[in-house]
Amino acid sequence: MAWIRGGNEDGMRTHWLGVAAASCVVALGLAACGSDASSGGSGGGHTISIWEGWTGAEAKAFAHLVSVYQKQNPGTTVSSLYVNNDNTLQKVLTAVRGGSPPDIAYLYGSWAPNVAQIPQVVNLTKVVQGPGVNWNDFWVGERDVATVNGKVIGIPALVDNLAVVYNKTLFAQAGLAPPGPGWTWQQFVADAAKLTNPAKKQFGTAYVTPGSEDTVWHWEVLLWEAGGQILKPGNKQAAFGSPAGLQALTTLRQMAVTNHSMYLDPTDSAYANLFNSGKIGMLVTGPWDLSAFPNVHDGVQIMPAFPGTSGGHQTISGPDNWVIFNNGASQTAAAEKFLLWLTAPAQVKYWSLATGDLPIRRSVAAPSFLQAMNKSLPGVDTFVTNLGNVHQARPQIASYPKVSQIIGNMVVSVLLGKSQPQAALNSAAQQVNQALAASNG
Amino acid sequence: MTAPAALLRKRLESPPARAGRRRPRASEQLAGWAFVTPGVAIILLFGAVPIVWSAVMSFQRNNLLTGKTPYVGLRNYRLMLHDPVVAQAVQHTFVYTALFVPGTMIVGLFLAVAMNRKIRFISFYRTAAYATMAISTISEAIVFIWLFDPSYGVVNYFLSLVGIPPQQFLNSPSQALYVIVAMTIWGWTGFAVVIYLAALQGVPQMLVDAAAVDGASKWTTFRRVTLPLLSPASLFLAVWLTINALQLFDEVFLSTQGGPLNATTVLVYYLYEQAFVNFNFGYASAIAYFLFLIILVVTAIQFRVGRRFTYYRS
Amino acid sequence: MTASAQALPRRRFRLPFSPWHLVLVPATVALLFPFVWLIVTSVETPAEALHFPPILIPHELHLANYPNALAAAPFGRFFLNSTVVAVTTVLSNLVLCSLAGYAFARLRFLGRGLLFAVIMTTLMVPFQVTMIPQFIITKWLGVHVLAQVGINHIGALILPNAATAFGIFFLRQFFKTLPIEYEESARVDGASRLKVLWRIVLPLSVPALATLAALTFLDSWNNFLWPLIVVTSTDKMTLPLGLATFQGAHSTEWTLLMAANVMSLAPMLLIFFAAQRYFIRSVAATGLAGT
Repeated sequence: MAWIRGGNEDGMRTHWLGVAAASCVVALGLAACGSDASSGGSGGGHTISIWEGWTGAEAKAFAHLVSVYQKQNPGTTVSSLYVNNDNTLQKVLTAVRGGSPPDIAYLYGSWAPNVAQIPQVVNLTKVVQGPGVNWNDFWVGERDVATVNGKVIGIPALVDNLAVVYNKTLFAQAGLAPPGPGWTWQQFVADAAKLTNPAKKQFGTAYVTPGSEDTVWHWEVLLWEAGGQILKPGNKQAAFGSPAGLQALTTLRQMAVTNHSMYLDPTDSAYANLFNSGKIGMLVTGPWDLSAFPNVHDGVQIMPAFPGTSGGHQTISGPDNWVIFNNGASQTAAAEKFLLWLTAPAQVKYWSLATGDLPIRRSVAAPSFLQAMNKSLPGVDTFVTNLGNVHQARPQIASYPKVSQIIGNMVVSVLLGKSQPQAALNSAAQQVNQALAASNG
Repeated sequence: MTAPAALLRKRLESPPARAGRRRPRASEQLAGWAFVTPGVAIILLFGAVPIVWSAVMSFQRNNLLTGKTPYVGLRNYRLMLHDPVVAQAVQHTFVYTALFVPGTMIVGLFLAVAMNRKIRFISFYRTAAYATMAISTISEAIVFIWLFDPSYGVVNYFLSLVGIPPQQFLNSPSQALYVIVAMTIWGWTGFAVVIYLAALQGVPQMLVDAAAVDGASKWTTFRRVTLPLLSPASLFLAVWLTINALQLFDEVFLSTQGGPLNATTVLVYYLYEQAFVNFNFGYASAIAYFLFLIILVVTAIQFRVGRRFTYYRS
Repeated sequence: MTASAQALPRRRFRLPFSPWHLVLVPATVALLFPFVWLIVTSVETPAEALHFPPILIPHELHLANYPNALAAAPFGRFFLNSTVVAVTTVLSNLVLCSLAGYAFARLRFLGRGLLFAVIMTTLMVPFQVTMIPQFIITKWLGVHVLAQVGINHIGALILPNAATAFGIFFLRQFFKTLPIEYEESARVDGASRLKVLWRIVLPLSVPALATLAALTFLDSWNNFLWPLIVVTSTDKMTLPLGLATFQGAHSTEWTLLMAANVMSLAPMLLIFFAAQRYFIRSVAATGLAGT
């Protein structure tokens, strides 16, 4: 490194630094090489590679289950790699193109119709019908999302749904009765208005407005409850440009634009902390947020209904899947065996108690079990019961992301007061029709 | 006496022995190629090969899923011409770049000049500037989202002090992009400061002193002496910031996700969405190539204009 | 004695400090504000961190976040991996970019302009598109050339960035600003080009080299997407991948994430703080004065 040899005082100092740096590199390089040699080599048994995104309590519970499985199955090693769920798709697609996918990956359910097109994805239709699996014990929302055109491409990994989480203290302060199971959207809107206090910067409710799928699925519940559908049967044309769609949009608009009782969160990040800080009266959200509200007394109620419509009380579920990639018959068999064990009732029970995640099997959700879960996470039982209100799933089609973007822009433009509900609906329905026609043709 | 000067004097005192045997042209060719080969080989392998590869993909239909990649000719490029979001994204990308690049350079130059002196705590100030580069984009995004929150943010509070009504910022399709500009200028200020500080070390104090002796004001000296001597660094910064600005992604991804109503959808964010949300990888590659052409033209213009205004001492 | 102190007697109204502090203090406050939030969050309880607007004065220092964060994942390993990758990347960039940057700045050879343009074009296509070809090339190298630079090896995190277009461009620009007379004299004297570069040009370029080193280190230390794609086992993870393990799909462990973040930032800032006198070297010290 001649550039270090200056010759003057400063040069001497750099010289010294350079030697130190160089020796560090040599030492560290040797350390790294040493570890390179030790990796690889699976021996006689199976090593199942699995990419998952568990953190915190979920990560601990998963590590525990893996160690139990390895003890019960000597010779099998489950090698898990943390990949943030949001990044998994990019990593999996790159690996598939490079010819080195993992044996198992945790993938969002919304990707399922597209993931199903990957040739390496293992068809599990027969596996889940096998003895002892009891496929129908999984919630219908889960089975819908794991199945694409009649082919099962995943095993349920996580299930959730949307319900209303409300701040009991703010309700009492406003002199309001807490929401009951038979409540209506009209009540929701009225309560939101009464819970709003501009002087205290307090809002009745909140809505996420980046225009992403998070914006969209909140609206889709209202659409279904108003008796509407997203697409017409056959998934070739929009169905949401209906009176039901108008009712759903108008309800949200009334809070956001007319009453100013709705905090709009364009980044999908601040709303939960605002609720936890006692600034928001009610939130439509999922069970994952319950542990994020330690500072307020919160209660949970199912979604309100639109009286006079056929919809009743509904909700939407966003289950995620374990997907197996074909790395040879014996690897696939080992991966299937592990997943079926992982999602068997005993392990589901352990998982839900340890993490507060909703049980992915109906049989586990017995009343006594829900009471036990509720002790550590009050209100979670309502979310489990609410799984019974999942009557439909989003369209399982590859072009759903495009549909979602159009609906997202429609909802945001109405909430920001940029367009009127009917005009926005008409324009969005027309765009969806065009998009569906283009993808079919 | 300093090293190069000492070396130079020593060398000058002993006349060269082999000077007559040099063959400059051929040896210069050889040395040039020998010097660049190791570095350039790596860059070509990991940079140029993938670029040609993705050029091929831009003529294919490719969803990254099925493994089937039929050639579709110019179809992806034709689609692009009729895609209104592409037109919007181009506009947002240009507006963003036109504000971000000069903004960052001016703030960076100002702070670098302020920090180019021996005053107390100067190490601390310089480290603070550098630190803005070290902080992760997610921390940066979270803090800016809070500062610009319409109801609870500090910025609206300060505006209210001077009688300006609260703004909607990230909730407003007409303002969101400017918030992203502010956020990224903040994030890149440290970079500009570090580059300008390094370049300011090449400005001979003697020239500055001479101008002062001639009665030039500090501002005139700065404009007539310092600024021209900084022009190679300015060209470097302009090119580098532009290349990065035209490829803005992280800050949008972590804050507005392109919204509200596509107001912050820039080209790379849109092509990311096409590739990994809509599974149109061929289309995404075509958009990337369109962007590549834009960057190429803009950079070529910068080098051309730069050549006229850049002052190299050699 | 500082320059501004010498200037003071000539002024009528004296500040007890340099007036530049009046600019630099507010600027530094603005620049450091996200850091304040970062450090404060790292010593809060989870309940405090889940506030909006954020709490900037925690009730007590919850320092347990630091050991808890360290215990959550093998951060020692991640730290070692990041250090090996960053230090090796910095050193190879200093060598390879100096050579190439000097050639592009000073030597006339066939194809110079074209080659430089091609290198610049590699910066103009977003990574989202080139990621998959890069992955396939890396895999191919690992299988057919050298296992240590293949998928899931530390070498795969180093080699693609061992020389960067940024470094070459940056040093080329800097070298062009140096007065050429010294180099010409040394050449006349019979010094080889390599010797001219090592003995004359590089000693004059310490601020630029230090800047390049700091920027390359930072880039390597914070690199996320490429390690995300290439690393397939926990023992090869770098710090940014380790930090991501605190960010779940729906919930983030903010206090632990920020504690780990502070620990990850510390080496970068310490290195900069220690090395920054090399960034700023008075012109006299480099022997440039009087040219």
